[in-house]
Amino acid sequence: MADTGYYFYAISRGLDPDVLNTEVGIEQAALQLVKHQDLGAVVSHVSLQDFGEEGLRRNLEDLAWLESVAVTHDRVARFCAERATTAPLRMATVFLSEDAVREQLAQWYDRAEEVLNRIEGRSEWSVKAYADPAAPAETGGDEPPETMGEGMAYLLRRRTEAQRRESTAQADAEAAQAIHDLLSNHAVAGRQLRPQDRQLTGHTGEMILNGTYLVDQGRVDEFLDTVAALRSEHPGVRVEHGGPWPPYSFATLEPE
Amino acid sequence: MTVVGNRTQAEANRSLQPVALVDLLDRVLGAGVVISGDLTISLAGVDLVQIRLHALISSVRAEMVPHDD
Repeated sequence: MADTGYYFYAISRGLDPDVLNTEVGIEQAALQLVKHQDLGAVVSHVSLQDFGEEGLRRNLEDLAWLESVAVTHDRVARFCAERATTAPLRMATVFLSEDAVREQLAQWYDRAEEVLNRIEGRSEWSVKAYADPAAPAETGGDEPPETMGEGMAYLLRRRTEAQRRESTAQADAEAAQAIHDLLSNHAVAGRQLRPQDRQLTGHTGEMILNGTYLVDQGRVDEFLDTVAALRSEHPGVRVEHGGPWPPYSFATLEPE
Repeated sequence: MTVVGNRTQAEANRSLQPVALVDLLDRVLGAGVVISGDLTISLAGVDLVQIRLHALISSVRAEMVPHDD
């Protein structure tokens, strides 16, 4: 089957292979578990026409294709995460053979166990904060006296505006850090992702925090209460949250 | 705890809201287990991810934002 690759969705610990019969992967392909000791690689067959290096480069330019694969990847990762401790892999991870999958799993064994121990019984939650550009952190500023010449008044006005922008940016950064620190205290771990591109999301306001948090199952209510309290503590900041996700951002195994 | 949305439906219709799609891509492209090695066909260098996201941004802009030039 030279034209077939193995798309590797996730590593699960103690997943019952039979439950994979009730879900499907990309292109409705059957899901399989490639096992090594207590770990299993969740995989399905994909065509190397689409998922080989050349095919991937072409397809990743296609938004509909990208979305469809991302959504399927996430569906399979969630399915496994709901049934066993699961470390999702980065999207579009493809191997040439089942043996290659098994060898990789064996090679990763120790580090995979560490990652799975870290994420067991935990899920990922996203919290994003936006500053409203119409509500500067600090109002006021000196109005130029009427006796001042026009050129001087202009320069003064420009300087005041620049100072106001700067103090707003600083206040935003401080608010973002305060929110992130507080949420991290109610989570096992927290990470700041890059702010999202407004042209992509269409969001209003300035995204000052794109945070993601690993939260104990037993502390989810506490975490969400903290998010709710932030909304009254920072009235000039809009706070959105999402989740639970499989712990994508906390399942990283760095290559040696 | 509830899982948001009907994933299978969204998949069939390719109808995720832009924000939900970007949140998802932040995670499935930006994180997760990173693979290296000869047996991996392609993936998962940071550079490739950046290329993908740039391609995506250009493609969304082309659909959503009228071009001046």
